[in-house]
Amino acid sequence: MFHMPVDVIATFNVQGKIKPNYIRIEDENHFLQTYKIQNILYCKEENYAGIPVLLFCCNILRGDCMQMIKIKYHIKTHQWVLVNEADKVMA
Amino acid sequence: MDNVIFHVDVNSAFLSWEAVYRLHILGEKTDLREIPSAVGGDVKKRHGIILARSIPAKKFGVRTGDTISDAINLCPELVIVPPHYDLYETSSKAFIEILKEFSPCVEQYSVDEAYCDMTGTECLYGSAVVIANVIKDKIYKELGFTVNIGISSNKVLAKMASDLKKPNLVHTLFPDEIEKKMWCLPVEDLFYVGSATKKKLHKLGIRTIGELAKTDPDILRAHFKKHGEVIYAFANGIDVSVISDEVPPNKGYGNSTTIAFDVEDANVAKMVLLSLAEKVCSRLRADSVMATVVAVSIVDFEFHHASHQMTLLTATNITNEIHKAACRLFDELWDGTPIRHLGIHTSRIVSGDSSRQMNLFDMTRYDRLAQLDTAVDMVRERYGDDSIKRAVFINGPIYHMAGGISPEKRKPFYKEGIK
Repeated sequence: MFHMPVDVIATFNVQGKIKPNYIRIEDENHFLQTYKIQNILYCKEENYAGIPVLLFCCNILRGDCMQMIKIKYHIKTHQWVLVNEADKVMA
Repeated sequence: MDNVIFHVDVNSAFLSWEAVYRLHILGEKTDLREIPSAVGGDVKKRHGIILARSIPAKKFGVRTGDTISDAINLCPELVIVPPHYDLYETSSKAFIEILKEFSPCVEQYSVDEAYCDMTGTECLYGSAVVIANVIKDKIYKELGFTVNIGISSNKVLAKMASDLKKPNLVHTLFPDEIEKKMWCLPVEDLFYVGSATKKKLHKLGIRTIGELAKTDPDILRAHFKKHGEVIYAFANGIDVSVISDEVPPNKGYGNSTTIAFDVEDANVAKMVLLSLAEKVCSRLRADSVMATVVAVSIVDFEFHHASHQMTLLTATNITNEIHKAACRLFDELWDGTPIRHLGIHTSRIVSGDSSRQMNLFDMTRYDRLAQLDTAVDMVRERYGDDSIKRAVFINGPIYHMAGGISPEKRKPFYKEGIK
Protein backbone atom coordinates (compact mmCIF):
# COMPACT_ATOMS: atom_id res chain seq x y z
CA MET A 1 0.00 0.00 0.00
CA PHE A 2 2.98 2.32 0.39
CA HIS A 3 5.18 3.85 -2.27
CA MET A 4 8.06 1.45 -2.84
CA PRO A 5 11.71 2.50 -2.53
CA VAL A 6 13.57 1.71 -5.76
CA ASP A 7 17.09 1.84 -7.15
CA VAL A 8 17.52 4.31 -9.99
CA ILE A 9 20.28 5.20 -12.41
CA ALA A 10 19.89 8.82 -13.38
CA THR A 11 21.88 11.43 -15.28
CA PHE A 12 22.32 15.00 -14.11
CA ASN A 13 23.10 17.50 -16.83
CA VAL A 14 25.06 20.74 -16.49
CA GLN A 15 21.86 22.71 -16.00
CA GLY A 16 20.98 20.53 -13.04
CA LYS A 17 18.27 18.70 -14.89
CA ILE A 18 17.70 15.17 -13.65
CA LYS A 19 16.79 12.33 -15.97
CA PRO A 20 16.15 8.83 -14.63
CA ASN A 21 17.41 6.17 -17.09
CA TYR A 22 16.93 2.82 -15.41
CA ILE A 23 14.93 1.62 -12.45
CA ARG A 24 15.50 -1.61 -10.56
CA ILE A 25 12.90 -3.31 -8.40
CA GLU A 26 12.43 -6.61 -6.69
CA ASP A 27 9.70 -8.85 -8.11
CA GLU A 28 7.52 -11.18 -6.04
CA ASN A 29 10.13 -13.96 -6.37
CA HIS A 30 12.73 -11.63 -4.90
CA PHE A 31 14.64 -11.30 -8.16
CA LEU A 32 15.94 -7.90 -9.08
CA GLN A 33 14.49 -6.67 -12.34
CA THR A 34 15.94 -3.76 -14.26
CA TYR A 35 13.83 -1.70 -16.61
CA LYS A 36 15.03 0.92 -19.03
CA ILE A 37 13.07 4.12 -18.96
CA GLN A 38 12.01 4.66 -22.56
CA ASN A 39 10.81 8.22 -22.32
CA ILE A 40 9.71 10.78 -19.77
CA LEU A 41 6.22 12.13 -20.32
CA TYR A 42 6.49 14.95 -17.82
CA CYS A 43 8.30 16.08 -14.71
CA LYS A 44 6.68 18.06 -11.92
CA GLU A 45 7.91 19.63 -8.72
CA GLU A 46 5.83 18.89 -5.65
CA ASN A 47 6.11 20.31 -2.16
CA TYR A 48 3.41 18.52 -0.16
CA ALA A 49 3.75 19.17 3.58
CA GLY A 50 6.86 21.19 2.73
CA ILE A 51 8.83 18.14 1.53
CA PRO A 52 10.28 18.87 -1.92
CA VAL A 53 9.92 16.03 -4.41
CA LEU A 54 10.38 15.69 -8.18
CA LEU A 55 7.71 13.56 -9.81
CA PHE A 56 8.57 11.84 -13.08
CA CYS A 57 5.94 10.22 -15.18
CA CYS A 58 7.64 7.85 -17.57
CA ASN A 59 7.26 4.78 -19.78
CA ILE A 60 9.14 1.56 -19.26
CA LEU A 61 9.25 -1.52 -21.46
CA ARG A 62 8.10 -4.74 -19.82
CA GLY A 63 8.43 -7.57 -22.30
CA ASP A 64 6.49 -6.32 -25.28
CA CYS A 65 4.39 -3.98 -23.23
CA MET A 66 4.93 -0.32 -22.63
CA GLN A 67 3.85 0.66 -19.11
CA MET A 68 3.46 4.09 -17.64
CA ILE A 69 4.89 4.53 -14.14
CA LYS A 70 5.44 7.42 -11.79
CA ILE A 71 8.59 7.73 -9.74
CA LYS A 72 9.44 10.39 -7.19
CA TYR A 73 12.83 11.75 -6.27
CA HIS A 74 13.11 13.11 -2.72
CA ILE A 75 15.35 16.14 -3.06
CA LYS A 76 16.37 16.26 0.61
CA THR A 77 17.00 12.57 1.27
CA HIS A 78 18.03 11.63 -2.33
CA GLN A 79 15.72 8.61 -2.30
CA TRP A 80 13.65 7.34 -5.19
CA VAL A 81 10.23 5.75 -4.75
CA LEU A 82 7.83 4.10 -7.13
CA VAL A 83 4.42 5.69 -6.77
CA ASN A 84 1.79 3.19 -5.81
CA GLU A 85 -1.26 3.91 -7.89
CA ALA A 86 -4.33 2.29 -6.41
CA ASP A 87 -5.25 -0.35 -8.97
CA LYS A 88 -2.06 -0.79 -10.93
CA VAL A 89 0.27 -3.59 -9.87
CA MET A 90 3.90 -3.35 -10.81
CA ALA A 91 6.38 -6.21 -11.22
CA MET B 1 -4.92 54.19 4.95
CA ASP B 2 -6.86 51.54 6.83
CA ASN B 3 -4.92 48.63 8.22
CA VAL B 4 -5.55 45.22 6.71
CA ILE B 5 -4.41 42.31 8.83
CA PHE B 6 -4.67 38.62 7.96
CA HIS B 7 -4.56 35.84 10.51
CA VAL B 8 -3.75 32.55 8.84
CA ASP B 9 -4.40 29.40 10.81
CA VAL B 10 -3.75 25.82 9.66
CA ASN B 11 -6.83 23.62 10.17
CA SER B 12 -6.04 20.87 12.71
CA ALA B 13 -2.38 21.44 11.93
CA PHE B 14 -0.60 18.38 13.34
CA LEU B 15 -3.26 16.07 11.98
CA SER B 16 -3.42 17.73 8.54
CA TRP B 17 0.32 17.60 8.15
CA GLU B 18 0.44 13.95 9.10
CA ALA B 19 -2.44 13.23 6.71
CA VAL B 20 -0.66 14.95 3.80
CA TYR B 21 2.58 13.14 4.64
CA ARG B 22 0.85 9.77 4.64
CA LEU B 23 -1.02 10.45 1.41
CA HIS B 24 1.70 11.99 -0.70
CA ILE B 25 5.00 10.88 0.79
CA LEU B 26 4.22 7.39 2.07
CA GLY B 27 1.52 6.69 -0.47
CA GLU B 28 -1.21 5.58 1.92
CA LYS B 29 -4.73 5.68 0.58
CA THR B 30 -6.71 6.74 3.64
CA ASP B 31 -6.93 10.44 4.36
CA LEU B 32 -6.77 10.88 8.13
CA ARG B 33 -8.78 14.08 7.77
CA GLU B 34 -11.79 12.18 6.47
CA ILE B 35 -12.01 9.62 9.27
CA PRO B 36 -12.23 10.06 13.05
CA SER B 37 -8.54 10.34 13.88
CA ALA B 38 -6.17 12.13 16.22
CA VAL B 39 -2.52 12.76 16.95
CA GLY B 40 -1.78 11.53 20.46
CA GLY B 41 1.10 10.80 22.76
CA ASP B 42 2.34 7.48 24.05
CA VAL B 43 0.05 6.17 26.80
CA LYS B 44 2.78 3.92 28.18
CA LYS B 45 5.05 6.90 28.72
CA ARG B 46 2.09 8.75 30.28
CA HIS B 47 2.11 11.26 27.45
CA GLY B 48 -1.45 10.23 26.81
CA ILE B 49 -3.28 13.28 25.51
CA ILE B 50 -4.83 14.26 22.21
CA LEU B 51 -2.69 16.88 20.46
CA ALA B 52 -4.94 17.38 17.43
CA ARG B 53 -8.04 15.70 16.07
CA SER B 54 -9.81 15.50 12.73
CA ILE B 55 -13.15 17.17 12.06
CA PRO B 56 -14.99 13.78 11.99
CA ALA B 57 -13.46 13.06 15.44
CA LYS B 58 -14.69 16.45 16.66
CA LYS B 59 -18.24 15.31 15.88
CA PHE B 60 -17.80 12.57 18.49
CA GLY B 61 -16.89 15.23 21.04
CA VAL B 62 -13.15 14.50 21.08
CA ARG B 63 -11.28 17.65 22.09
CA THR B 64 -7.63 18.65 21.99
CA GLY B 65 -6.14 18.00 25.42
CA ASP B 66 -8.45 15.08 26.29
CA THR B 67 -6.77 11.98 27.61
CA ILE B 68 -6.49 9.16 25.08
CA SER B 69 -8.68 6.87 27.19
CA ASP B 70 -11.44 9.51 27.34
CA ALA B 71 -11.19 10.01 23.60
CA ILE B 72 -11.50 6.28 22.91
CA ASN B 73 -14.54 6.12 25.17
CA LEU B 74 -16.14 8.88 23.12
CA CYS B 75 -15.16 7.35 19.81
CA PRO B 76 -14.09 3.69 19.91
CA GLU B 77 -12.94 3.58 16.27
CA LEU B 78 -10.68 6.62 16.69
CA VAL B 79 -7.41 6.16 14.77
CA ILE B 80 -4.55 7.53 16.86
CA VAL B 81 -1.23 8.32 15.21
CA PRO B 82 1.99 9.27 17.03
CA PRO B 83 3.43 12.80 16.83
CA HIS B 84 5.98 13.71 14.18
CA TYR B 85 7.63 17.00 15.18
CA ASP B 86 10.29 16.99 12.45
CA LEU B 87 7.50 17.04 9.90
CA TYR B 88 5.69 19.83 11.74
CA GLU B 89 8.80 22.00 11.55
CA THR B 90 9.20 21.34 7.83
CA SER B 91 5.55 21.99 7.03
CA SER B 92 5.41 25.09 9.20
CA LYS B 93 8.46 26.54 7.46
CA ALA B 94 6.98 25.92 4.00
CA PHE B 95 3.70 27.50 5.14
CA ILE B 96 5.43 30.68 6.36
CA GLU B 97 7.48 30.85 3.13
CA ILE B 98 4.30 31.05 1.06
CA LEU B 99 2.91 33.83 3.28
CA LYS B 100 6.14 35.77 2.85
CA GLU B 101 5.60 35.74 -0.92
CA PHE B 102 2.50 37.86 -0.39
CA SER B 103 3.19 40.07 2.61
CA PRO B 104 6.25 42.12 3.52
CA CYS B 105 5.61 41.60 7.23
CA VAL B 106 4.76 38.14 8.52
CA GLU B 107 4.68 37.43 12.24
CA GLN B 108 4.78 33.74 13.05
CA TYR B 109 2.57 33.48 16.09
CA SER B 110 2.93 29.76 16.67
CA VAL B 111 3.89 26.67 14.70
CA ASP B 112 0.62 26.80 12.76
CA GLU B 113 -0.52 30.42 12.90
CA ALA B 114 0.77 33.67 11.50
CA TYR B 115 -0.29 37.27 11.15
CA CYS B 116 0.33 39.05 7.84
CA ASP B 117 0.26 42.79 7.46
CA MET B 118 -1.49 43.31 4.12
CA THR B 119 -1.95 47.07 4.54
CA GLY B 120 -1.49 48.88 1.24
CA THR B 121 -1.50 45.77 -0.93
CA GLU B 122 -4.88 46.57 -2.48
CA CYS B 123 -3.37 48.22 -5.55
CA LEU B 124 -1.10 45.22 -5.98
CA TYR B 125 -3.48 42.34 -5.40
CA GLY B 126 -6.99 43.80 -5.39
CA SER B 127 -9.49 43.23 -2.64
CA ALA B 128 -8.36 41.55 0.58
CA VAL B 129 -10.95 38.80 0.32
CA VAL B 130 -9.78 37.89 -3.17
CA ILE B 131 -6.11 37.68 -2.26
CA ALA B 132 -6.90 35.77 0.93
CA ASN B 133 -8.63 33.16 -1.20
CA VAL B 134 -5.66 33.06 -3.56
CA ILE B 135 -3.27 32.46 -0.62
CA LYS B 136 -5.53 29.82 0.90
CA ASP B 137 -5.84 27.96 -2.41
CA LYS B 138 -2.14 28.23 -3.17
CA ILE B 139 -1.27 26.67 0.19
CA TYR B 140 -3.73 23.86 -0.47
CA LYS B 141 -2.49 23.26 -4.01
CA GLU B 142 1.21 23.33 -3.21
CA LEU B 143 1.43 22.01 0.32
CA GLY B 144 -1.73 19.92 0.43
CA PHE B 145 -3.35 21.22 3.63
CA THR B 146 -6.12 23.72 4.29
CA VAL B 147 -6.02 26.97 6.22
CA ASN B 148 -8.50 29.49 7.54
CA ILE B 149 -7.82 33.16 6.95
CA GLY B 150 -9.34 35.91 9.08
CA ILE B 151 -9.31 39.45 7.73
CA SER B 152 -9.71 42.59 9.78
CA SER B 153 -8.10 45.86 10.73
CA ASN B 154 -6.27 44.57 13.81
CA LYS B 155 -4.78 41.38 15.14
CA VAL B 156 -7.41 40.31 17.65
CA LEU B 157 -10.29 40.69 15.20
CA ALA B 158 -8.35 38.89 12.47
CA LYS B 159 -7.72 36.03 14.89
CA MET B 160 -11.37 35.87 15.93
CA ALA B 161 -12.36 35.90 12.25
CA SER B 162 -10.14 32.96 11.33
CA ASP B 163 -11.82 31.00 14.13
CA LEU B 164 -15.38 31.57 12.92
CA LYS B 165 -16.12 28.54 10.79
CA LYS B 166 -13.70 25.85 9.66
CA PRO B 167 -12.16 24.44 7.55
CA ASN B 168 -10.74 26.01 4.38
CA LEU B 169 -12.56 29.35 4.62
CA VAL B 170 -11.90 33.07 4.51
CA HIS B 171 -13.82 35.32 6.92
CA THR B 172 -13.84 39.05 7.47
CA LEU B 173 -14.51 40.67 10.83
CA PHE B 174 -14.17 44.42 10.40
CA PRO B 175 -15.17 46.69 13.31
CA ASP B 176 -18.62 47.34 11.78
CA GLU B 177 -19.28 43.58 11.72
CA ILE B 178 -18.44 42.93 15.37
CA GLU B 179 -22.00 43.24 16.57
CA LYS B 180 -23.33 40.84 13.97
CA LYS B 181 -20.56 38.24 13.87
CA MET B 182 -18.77 38.30 17.22
CA TRP B 183 -21.06 39.52 19.96
CA CYS B 184 -23.37 36.53 19.69
CA LEU B 185 -20.53 34.07 20.39
CA PRO B 186 -20.05 32.50 23.84
CA VAL B 187 -17.56 34.43 25.94
CA GLU B 188 -15.04 31.54 26.08
CA ASP B 189 -14.52 31.90 22.32
CA LEU B 190 -12.84 35.25 22.91
CA PHE B 191 -9.07 35.33 22.62
CA TYR B 192 -7.49 35.43 26.14
CA VAL B 193 -10.57 34.00 27.87
CA GLY B 194 -9.58 30.60 29.23
CA SER B 195 -11.51 28.22 31.41
CA ALA B 196 -10.75 30.08 34.67
CA THR B 197 -11.82 33.46 33.29
CA LYS B 198 -14.88 31.85 31.71
CA LYS B 199 -16.02 30.50 35.07
CA LYS B 200 -15.60 33.88 36.75
CA LEU B 201 -17.42 35.66 33.93
CA HIS B 202 -20.29 33.18 34.12
CA LYS B 203 -20.60 33.94 37.83
CA LEU B 204 -20.95 37.60 36.91
CA GLY B 205 -23.72 36.62 34.50
CA ILE B 206 -21.64 37.33 31.42
CA ARG B 207 -22.15 34.59 28.87
CA THR B 208 -21.58 36.15 25.46
CA ILE B 209 -18.87 38.37 24.05
CA GLY B 210 -21.55 41.04 23.48
CA GLU B 211 -22.45 41.05 27.17
CA LEU B 212 -18.77 41.37 28.05
CA ALA B 213 -18.36 44.27 25.63
CA LYS B 214 -21.23 46.16 27.27
CA THR B 215 -20.08 45.51 30.86
CA ASP B 216 -18.74 48.48 32.82
CA PRO B 217 -14.93 48.18 32.56
CA ASP B 218 -14.64 49.18 36.25
CA ILE B 219 -16.48 46.01 37.25
CA LEU B 220 -14.11 43.94 35.12
CA ARG B 221 -11.10 45.75 36.55
CA ALA B 222 -12.33 45.00 40.07
CA HIS B 223 -12.59 41.29 39.33
CA PHE B 224 -9.76 40.64 36.90
CA LYS B 225 -7.40 43.61 37.43
CA LYS B 226 -5.35 44.33 34.29
CA HIS B 227 -6.63 41.23 32.51
CA GLY B 228 -10.15 42.71 32.75
CA GLU B 229 -9.10 45.70 30.68
CA VAL B 230 -7.55 43.43 28.07
CA ILE B 231 -10.64 41.25 27.58
CA TYR B 232 -12.92 44.31 27.66
CA ALA B 233 -10.88 45.86 24.84
CA PHE B 234 -10.85 42.59 22.88
CA ALA B 235 -14.61 42.17 23.25
CA ASN B 236 -14.99 45.63 21.72
CA GLY B 237 -12.56 44.77 18.95
CA ILE B 238 -9.83 47.08 20.22
CA ASP B 239 -6.22 45.92 19.88
CA VAL B 240 -3.34 48.32 19.48
CA SER B 241 -0.57 45.73 19.09
CA VAL B 242 1.33 45.82 15.83
CA ILE B 243 2.67 43.01 13.69
CA SER B 244 6.35 42.47 14.16
CA ASP B 245 8.42 40.07 12.11
CA GLU B 246 11.27 40.24 14.60
CA VAL B 247 11.31 37.49 17.18
CA PRO B 248 11.45 39.07 20.66
CA PRO B 249 14.27 37.75 22.88
CA ASN B 250 13.31 34.96 25.27
CA LYS B 251 12.44 36.12 28.78
CA GLY B 252 13.07 32.71 30.26
CA TYR B 253 14.25 29.24 29.33
CA GLY B 254 12.57 26.25 30.88
CA ASN B 255 12.03 22.57 30.23
CA SER B 256 9.94 20.01 31.98
CA THR B 257 9.19 16.34 31.62
CA THR B 258 6.56 13.83 32.64
CA ILE B 259 8.39 10.81 33.99
CA ALA B 260 7.22 7.37 32.84
CA PHE B 261 6.96 6.20 36.48
CA ASP B 262 6.26 7.93 39.81
CA VAL B 263 9.50 9.05 41.41
CA GLU B 264 9.79 8.35 45.13
CA ASP B 265 13.55 8.55 45.51
CA ALA B 266 15.23 11.94 45.80
CA ASN B 267 18.31 10.69 43.96
CA VAL B 268 16.25 9.66 40.96
CA ALA B 269 14.48 13.03 41.00
CA LYS B 270 17.86 14.76 41.06
CA MET B 271 18.94 12.74 38.06
CA VAL B 272 15.87 13.94 36.22
CA LEU B 273 16.76 17.48 37.28
CA LEU B 274 20.26 16.94 35.92
CA SER B 275 18.90 15.85 32.57
CA LEU B 276 16.61 18.90 32.53
CA ALA B 277 19.52 21.14 33.51
CA GLU B 278 21.52 19.70 30.59
CA LYS B 279 18.75 20.66 28.23
CA VAL B 280 18.00 24.11 29.63
CA CYS B 281 21.68 25.07 29.89
CA SER B 282 22.49 23.85 26.40
CA ARG B 283 19.71 26.11 25.13
CA LEU B 284 21.02 29.05 27.18
CA ARG B 285 24.50 28.50 25.80
CA ALA B 286 23.25 28.09 22.24
CA ASP B 287 21.68 31.56 22.49
CA SER B 288 24.76 32.96 24.32
CA VAL B 289 22.77 34.08 27.35
CA MET B 290 22.89 33.40 31.08
CA ALA B 291 20.15 33.16 33.68
CA THR B 292 20.02 34.64 37.16
CA VAL B 293 16.88 33.04 38.57
CA VAL B 294 16.30 29.29 38.78
CA ALA B 295 12.92 27.74 39.57
CA VAL B 296 11.94 24.12 40.09
CA SER B 297 8.40 22.85 39.66
CA ILE B 298 6.92 19.56 40.78
CA VAL B 299 3.64 17.92 39.84
CA ASP B 300 2.87 15.01 42.13
CA PHE B 301 0.95 11.84 41.33
CA GLU B 302 -2.30 13.53 42.34
CA PHE B 303 -1.61 16.43 39.96
CA HIS B 304 -0.83 18.96 42.70
CA HIS B 305 1.52 21.64 41.48
CA ALA B 306 4.29 23.21 43.54
CA SER B 307 7.20 25.43 42.61
CA HIS B 308 10.04 27.23 44.25
CA GLN B 309 12.63 29.69 42.96
CA MET B 310 15.84 31.40 43.95
CA THR B 311 18.12 34.12 42.69
CA LEU B 312 21.71 33.11 42.10
CA LEU B 313 24.65 35.23 43.22
CA THR B 314 25.67 35.60 39.64
CA ALA B 315 24.17 34.79 36.26
CA THR B 316 25.25 31.47 34.75
CA ASN B 317 24.66 28.93 32.05
CA ILE B 318 26.86 26.18 33.50
CA THR B 319 24.98 22.89 33.75
CA ASN B 320 26.50 21.85 37.08
CA GLU B 321 25.77 25.19 38.69
CA ILE B 322 22.12 25.29 37.59
CA HIS B 323 21.72 21.66 38.65
CA LYS B 324 23.15 22.42 42.09
CA ALA B 325 20.68 25.27 42.55
CA ALA B 326 17.84 23.08 41.28
CA CYS B 327 18.74 20.33 43.78
CA ARG B 328 18.77 22.82 46.64
CA LEU B 329 15.35 24.12 45.61
CA PHE B 330 14.10 20.57 45.23
CA ASP B 331 15.24 19.60 48.75
CA GLU B 332 13.50 22.63 50.19
CA LEU B 333 10.31 22.01 48.22
CA TRP B 334 9.74 18.26 48.15
CA ASP B 335 7.72 16.61 50.92
CA GLY B 336 8.20 13.03 49.76
CA THR B 337 4.99 12.62 47.71
CA PRO B 338 5.54 10.53 44.57
CA ILE B 339 6.45 12.79 41.66
CA ARG B 340 4.94 12.63 38.19
CA HIS B 341 6.41 15.66 36.50
CA LEU B 342 9.49 17.84 37.08
CA GLY B 343 10.54 21.12 35.55
CA ILE B 344 13.35 23.63 35.65
CA HIS B 345 12.73 27.20 34.59
CA THR B 346 15.35 29.91 34.39
CA SER B 347 14.68 33.61 34.06
CA ARG B 348 16.12 37.11 34.41
CA ILE B 349 18.21 36.52 31.33
CA VAL B 350 21.38 38.51 30.75
CA SER B 351 23.68 38.44 27.75
CA GLY B 352 26.37 35.76 27.74
CA ASP B 353 29.35 38.11 27.93
CA SER B 354 28.36 39.55 31.33
CA SER B 355 31.14 39.07 33.84
CA ARG B 356 30.87 36.76 36.81
CA GLN B 357 30.60 38.01 40.37
CA MET B 358 33.51 36.41 42.21
CA ASN B 359 32.85 34.74 45.54
CA LEU B 360 35.64 34.44 48.10
CA PHE B 361 34.21 31.32 49.71
CA ASP B 362 33.43 29.35 46.58
CA MET B 363 36.47 27.49 45.32
CA THR B 364 34.74 25.88 42.31
CA ARG B 365 36.68 26.51 39.09
CA TYR B 366 33.75 27.81 37.06
CA ASP B 367 35.91 28.74 34.10
CA ARG B 368 36.89 25.09 33.70
CA LEU B 369 33.29 23.92 33.99
CA ALA B 370 32.32 26.45 31.32
CA GLN B 371 35.08 25.13 29.05
CA LEU B 372 33.84 21.59 29.60
CA ASP B 373 30.27 22.60 28.71
CA THR B 374 31.49 24.31 25.54
CA ALA B 375 33.41 21.20 24.53
CA VAL B 376 30.38 18.98 25.15
CA ASP B 377 28.17 21.35 23.13
CA MET B 378 30.60 21.16 20.22
CA VAL B 379 30.69 17.36 20.29
CA ARG B 380 26.88 17.24 20.39
CA GLU B 381 26.50 19.71 17.57
CA ARG B 382 28.78 17.70 15.35
CA TYR B 383 27.86 14.12 16.24
CA GLY B 384 24.35 14.41 17.69
CA ASP B 385 22.91 14.87 21.18
CA ASP B 386 23.43 11.23 22.12
CA SER B 387 27.11 11.10 21.17
CA ILE B 388 28.20 12.19 24.65
CA LYS B 389 26.42 11.88 27.95
CA ARG B 390 27.08 11.72 31.67
CA ALA B 391 27.88 8.26 32.96
CA VAL B 392 24.94 8.28 35.43
CA PHE B 393 22.52 8.08 32.50
CA ILE B 394 24.09 5.00 30.90
CA ASN B 395 21.55 2.16 30.70
CA GLY B 396 19.23 4.11 33.00
CA PRO B 397 15.53 4.75 32.49
CA ILE B 398 16.02 8.52 32.18
CA TYR B 399 16.94 10.16 28.89
CA HIS B 400 20.04 12.30 29.39
CA MET B 401 18.52 15.48 27.97
CA ALA B 402 14.92 15.47 29.15
CA GLY B 403 12.35 18.06 28.26
CA GLY B 404 11.30 19.57 24.97
CA ILE B 405 10.71 17.27 22.05
CA SER B 406 12.20 13.88 22.78
CA PRO B 407 13.73 11.92 19.87
CA GLU B 408 10.86 9.44 19.58
CA LYS B 409 8.39 12.29 19.05
CA ARG B 410 10.46 13.71 16.23
CA LYS B 411 9.80 10.85 13.87
CA PRO B 412 7.42 7.95 14.36
CA PHE B 413 8.23 4.46 13.21
CA TYR B 414 6.44 3.65 9.97
CA LYS B 415 6.19 -0.06 9.24
CA GLU B 416 6.97 0.23 5.55
CA GLY B 417 7.94 2.88 3.09
CA ILE B 418 10.68 5.40 2.99
CA LYS B 419 12.14 7.21 5.94
